[in-house]
Amino acid sequence: MAAPDTPAGGRTSPVPERRPAAIVSHLDIIYRVVGGKRSNTSAIGDDEGESIFRNLIGRGKTVATVQSVHAVKDVSFVAYHGESVGIIGRNGSGKSTLLRAVAGLLPPTNGEVFLAGTPALLGVNAVLMSALSGERNIYIGGQALGLTKAQVKERFEEIVAFSGIGDAVYRPMSTYSSGMAARLRFAISTAAVPDVLMIDEALSTGDAEFRKRSGEKVDEIREKASTVFLVSHSNSTVRDLCDRVLWMHHGRLIADGPTEAILTAYEGWDPKKHPAGPPGIG
Amino acid sequence: MTAGPEGLPQTPPALSAEEAAALAKRHGLPSLGGRPPFGDYVGSLWGQRSFIWTLSTAQTVARNSSDRLGMLWTVLNPLLLIGSYYLVFGLLVPTTKGTTNFIAFLAIGVVIFGYMASSITRGSKSIVNNIGLVRALRFPRAVLPVAETLTQVVTVLPAIAVLMVVVIVTGEPVRWHWLLLPVALAMQTAILGGMVLIAARLVNISRDMTNLIPVAIRVLRYVSGVFFSIEAYAARFDPFVGDVLMIQPFALPIALVRQCLLEEAPIQWIQWAAGLGWAVVLPAFGLWFFWRDEAKYGRA
Repeated sequence: MAAPDTPAGGRTSPVPERRPAAIVSHLDIIYRVVGGKRSNTSAIGDDEGESIFRNLIGRGKTVATVQSVHAVKDVSFVAYHGESVGIIGRNGSGKSTLLRAVAGLLPPTNGEVFLAGTPALLGVNAVLMSALSGERNIYIGGQALGLTKAQVKERFEEIVAFSGIGDAVYRPMSTYSSGMAARLRFAISTAAVPDVLMIDEALSTGDAEFRKRSGEKVDEIREKASTVFLVSHSNSTVRDLCDRVLWMHHGRLIADGPTEAILTAYEGWDPKKHPAGPPGIG
Repeated sequence: MTAGPEGLPQTPPALSAEEAAALAKRHGLPSLGGRPPFGDYVGSLWGQRSFIWTLSTAQTVARNSSDRLGMLWTVLNPLLLIGSYYLVFGLLVPTTKGTTNFIAFLAIGVVIFGYMASSITRGSKSIVNNIGLVRALRFPRAVLPVAETLTQVVTVLPAIAVLMVVVIVTGEPVRWHWLLLPVALAMQTAILGGMVLIAARLVNISRDMTNLIPVAIRVLRYVSGVFFSIEAYAARFDPFVGDVLMIQPFALPIALVRQCLLEEAPIQWIQWAAGLGWAVVLPAFGLWFFWRDEAKYGRA
């Protein structure tokens, strides 16, 4: 408790003046999944009637309809202002869940998240309101991020220009291609210079030219002392944009350090050769 | 955690929960887990009024764009409903006891109760139907049920216009009491806002609740004097039951609107006072009740 800034380990602490933007402490996220169930082989076929009956009376006993998924397990880290943090890991390793929890959009089951300012999360799947035009979604997103209506109006042209979707902005978002929707979401999320910007795979759907522009935008946001979190399966995107990487595996944070070192280890790890898991988790 | 066998850099050791909390406190980082104090929450909701309006108009547009006849249905629907209720309760099984202008009496019941029914049905799903928005952006979640309530106000206006036509056509005289109609509707909207907030949290806790809401609304439709005069039938009940039936927040708005528009229904100020009471207590309680779960909306 004497000097909480200094990690107790052998490494010397980074400059103590660094201002944390996000503190994640022993975070656990357990999803409650309703509806999904493992089909019980004996319950299929002849005695289906019985299984329905059992399902009615012994809910959760024989054929559970509520499952829990432990998506993030005891994750702790501190991210600082101006830092750009990549989160890598295989599918289902808890990256996106972690990101959502850090954005305050998923309440922690255990542990705590502290965050400076307002986060904006930009996900590939983040639907604003797909029945509505891009224009209305810009107003909804912009105002939800804390801009006033007048400010959104003022930046409207800029947002549309940055997204590069042109007149499609007046069409319902349900008619957009995934790339167009991702570009528009990115443009909306960055219109307000959020204190913490979270990007979930969104950049990978854009074309090369858009990726370059969005990279510049991310740099610009970092220069304004904001923090950027990026979840991506594209190692080159992570290399380009991030100076620090968190490696998630089966819900655990197994490595946290400079981009190059972690990515090299990540790329060198072959799940077939090390089925027990990547190095560092014993 | 030590360096991995393949030269993985050392991960900084985790701070203990106390150390993390102390670090956050020193740099003024708020915890995300908790909800803001209730006073701040109400303030931030007020600060979002422009956002609420944007959402509400957007919802209105989205809904009317799917039907070909669009806005026309907001006029046709109440007319058809009034017609079918009149067929049953005016002609087949008359419940006209204690009323003189039954058509207008019935029209008010159908339209005003319909407003309550659709507000609660739609409003209760305002969180779960906008889960994408909830998971993508952080804003006071009460914005969604409140915006839905506003959307319903806009949607009910054509039906109110239909109602006025029915009232005039059936021969009600124009009186100063009509000026009270906006007051009655405003009180009803406040009451509904409170109910929608309560229902939205309940549905978020368990989606099974969406199956119970139509049942509850059906029961309320039958006990709230939509197609019969509670006062005329009150003698059948214990006086206490009769009073409860009359001042419960679903029956009361219907009674108040009848007092505005029908000559046969004298103004009963005690009922207006009760309406005002509901209009203050229910939104306040609803907002508090909704706020209790603020950190939990959007959980999968």
